[in-house]
Amino acid sequence: MATTAGRKYAADERRRDSDHESFLVHRRMRWFKIAVVVSVVAILGYALADVKPRPNGGSWYGYTLGTIGALLIVWLSLLGVRKRAMTPGSWSLKAWTSAHVYLGLSLIVIATLHTGFQFGWNVHTLAYALMMLAIVSGIYGIVVYSMLPASLSNNRREMTKREMVESLAAIDRQLEQAAQPLDRGESDLVIAALEQDPFGYGVWTRLSGHYRNCRTEAAIAAFSGVRNRAEAEDRVRALLGKRIAQLQQIRRHLRLKAMLEVWLYIHVPATIALLGALTAHIVSVFYYW
Amino acid sequence: MTFRVRTIDQTAAGREIVRESEIAKDSIVIGRAAECDIHLPDLAIEQRHVGVSQTPGGQLKVEALGTLGFTIDGRATTGATLSPREGSELALGSYRLEFGAAEGGSIAVTVRSSGEHDDHGKEALRGFALASVLPGKRGIAWTALAIIVIAFLAVPIYTHLTRIPTKPSIDKPGTVVMDASWSPGPLSAVHHSLEKNCEACHVKAFVAVRDNACLACHKDIGDHADHAKLLAARGSMSWGAGFQRAVATMFNKPGPGACTDCHIEHQGTGPMPDTRQEFCADCHGTLDERLEDTALGNASDFGKVHPEFAALMETGPNQTKPMRVSLASHPKQWDGLRFPHDIHLNLGGGVARMARNIGAEHGYGAALDCKDCHHPTADGTRFLPVDMERDCEACHSLVYDKVGPTFRTLRHGDIAQMQADLVASDRSGHAPIVTGRRRPGEYAPGGLYYGNFAGGSGLVGRAMAPDGVCGECHFASHAGGRLGVMPVTQPARFFAHGWFSHVDHKQEACSSCHAAKTSKTSTDLLLPGIGKCRECHLGEDSKTAKVPSGCVMCHSYHPREGAPASAGLITMREPE
Repeated sequence: MATTAGRKYAADERRRDSDHESFLVHRRMRWFKIAVVVSVVAILGYALADVKPRPNGGSWYGYTLGTIGALLIVWLSLLGVRKRAMTPGSWSLKAWTSAHVYLGLSLIVIATLHTGFQFGWNVHTLAYALMMLAIVSGIYGIVVYSMLPASLSNNRREMTKREMVESLAAIDRQLEQAAQPLDRGESDLVIAALEQDPFGYGVWTRLSGHYRNCRTEAAIAAFSGVRNRAEAEDRVRALLGKRIAQLQQIRRHLRLKAMLEVWLYIHVPATIALLGALTAHIVSVFYYW
Repeated sequence: MTFRVRTIDQTAAGREIVRESEIAKDSIVIGRAAECDIHLPDLAIEQRHVGVSQTPGGQLKVEALGTLGFTIDGRATTGATLSPREGSELALGSYRLEFGAAEGGSIAVTVRSSGEHDDHGKEALRGFALASVLPGKRGIAWTALAIIVIAFLAVPIYTHLTRIPTKPSIDKPGTVVMDASWSPGPLSAVHHSLEKNCEACHVKAFVAVRDNACLACHKDIGDHADHAKLLAARGSMSWGAGFQRAVATMFNKPGPGACTDCHIEHQGTGPMPDTRQEFCADCHGTLDERLEDTALGNASDFGKVHPEFAALMETGPNQTKPMRVSLASHPKQWDGLRFPHDIHLNLGGGVARMARNIGAEHGYGAALDCKDCHHPTADGTRFLPVDMERDCEACHSLVYDKVGPTFRTLRHGDIAQMQADLVASDRSGHAPIVTGRRRPGEYAPGGLYYGNFAGGSGLVGRAMAPDGVCGECHFASHAGGRLGVMPVTQPARFFAHGWFSHVDHKQEACSSCHAAKTSKTSTDLLLPGIGKCRECHLGEDSKTAKVPSGCVMCHSYHPREGAPASAGLITMREPE
């Protein structure tokens, strides 16, 4: 029954493929296609709809797009609820995420057409700006999720985060021992380097990777400048070199990790703020009807 | 080669106990077994865990002897080479062994029990996450949400609900706070002063702007037609329009026929956008179907469905009051004058010759041009009536006598005075103006340019003849048994219900619309028909028109003048 076995193999392959398939290409990009169709229909409608004196959120087409857009925003923001309950099947979390990404992108078209390209310093444009902020941060998130994990893996060099911390701690203990013969000034350099928290840097430093005021680097510079180094000084200099190498690995890790995580600090609050602004937008329109 | 082993233990009180020993071997074994060179009693460590040996290059080679690895300088591995000069730390279970160089080329090994399996990493691991240096996402989100809801929702609603309603005024701003953030766009120029007074129009919450809000200021705005008639004229809506109306009604929008149906605000500074053609076409497109007594033709699009113009004028000498006559019937106009435009505009001939002769003095060019006789009103919209003394008399002289160097002129418009002046001129002796010699050609009696300079009384008798001093331009009238001329009418405006401004068309030559050059008689109505206008103007949606033109380009929904006399003021309607 070679054919049965062949079929089973093929079925297993499909299952395996779908298990490993990215949410971006889920079901042969079904949601991408749906989003494209939705966007094209919205654009065609905008071109053909007879709204005067000019395209406007308050025309019949504007209200139609606005209603669709508002429902989409609410549904998109429910991903935060949905992802906490994983279920299989056609409404699997992967399908949901795929739809979230592509329908979210189609919202750029729908909401921009809803504005009729009329912007101002008001709560309506605030809602639009927050929505665009959420979408742009989401696009960034997708890009870094598809690009950075490989770099993160390369930087690890088969070390876990714990090992990186352990390694630094081991180097620090050796440094402490090795620095015992040093005089006051040099000891202070070592103490300063050891006391500096490798994680005590803000989000900008982590993202940029430029660690100014790094005392380990300062200590290396100081020890490198010493002529005719004694054996102890030499050893400390070597250990400081090891320390900075370990710090740099941790810092690269911090940078990649920050780049992977920072968008959510915009995406999530922008979404929640958007829900508020959207409510204010809709209520204000009907309040001053 | 020697390994100098320093074992540092801690008592329960924290005091350190240091034991030193020397192992003179080239390689040592570290493990839990008692026979190991370095014996570490920890269940996490294998009996024979790690072997340490020296390489020929003076390095130390560390390898796992069993299947479990070890940690060197924090890094898990099963084999490593380290330099005693730089030193390294080997971690096994709860023990840490520090390798370094000692004097005499021996290797120093310091063994410490950390007393714990490394679990201090947990805390440090959190430092990797961005969450350790940023406020929580929830905190940021809730803060932003609270600010937005308070500033853009709670504050305006609260201040709107608690305000003391006052009569709207363009002089003082509204009392609702933060509602400027709700404005979807600037108001038009005429309503600019209401920009900070939203509640002047948005009176009640969730109630769309009602006509009363507009009428609070626009008290004098006239209605388009009798209200009952307006309702009767409204046609049945298309499916789409009907659906939109139903939705609008469901959402409590006023109308149909509300001010806001046509006048849409918040579309930006500048003039308010023109009302769309469809709002007129709703009723006027098929008006005859619903208002059977209407005199108006159907109109839905200037380029497609619009009746021919009707001019308000007299068509005969006996008409007492001007009537509207469709240009489609090619009507003749009665203005009470004899005036052939063609002769006056001819580039050759006597008129042109005369214009050239006296032109410099009166500002004419070569031959006569329209502007030599027709003068625009101050606003340029229309033309002033032609005035005999200003526009005709330079050529059509009323001189009848000459005393010394001075000419005596008849007074235009006063027949009794004319008769008296001419008769009187005969009583005083004076030199004849003409020699009495017969003149040739057209200057002879009966010719076009014959001038009869016989005495005053003679002129009186022939005044009303076609070549007489009056009859040359006027028709005689004997109303009331007295000699007179028929009234002259020069309508300032032919189209009472449509707007036309000459100044907006000044790029065009007069002759492109008015066929004056070929008109032989003043009964020719020189108004262009709708076809002429359609050369440039077609409906609002026309793609081919030079000037797409909606209804409001020429028409006004609200009567421009005489509102109370027409359908009445909108404010007179029953309250909603």
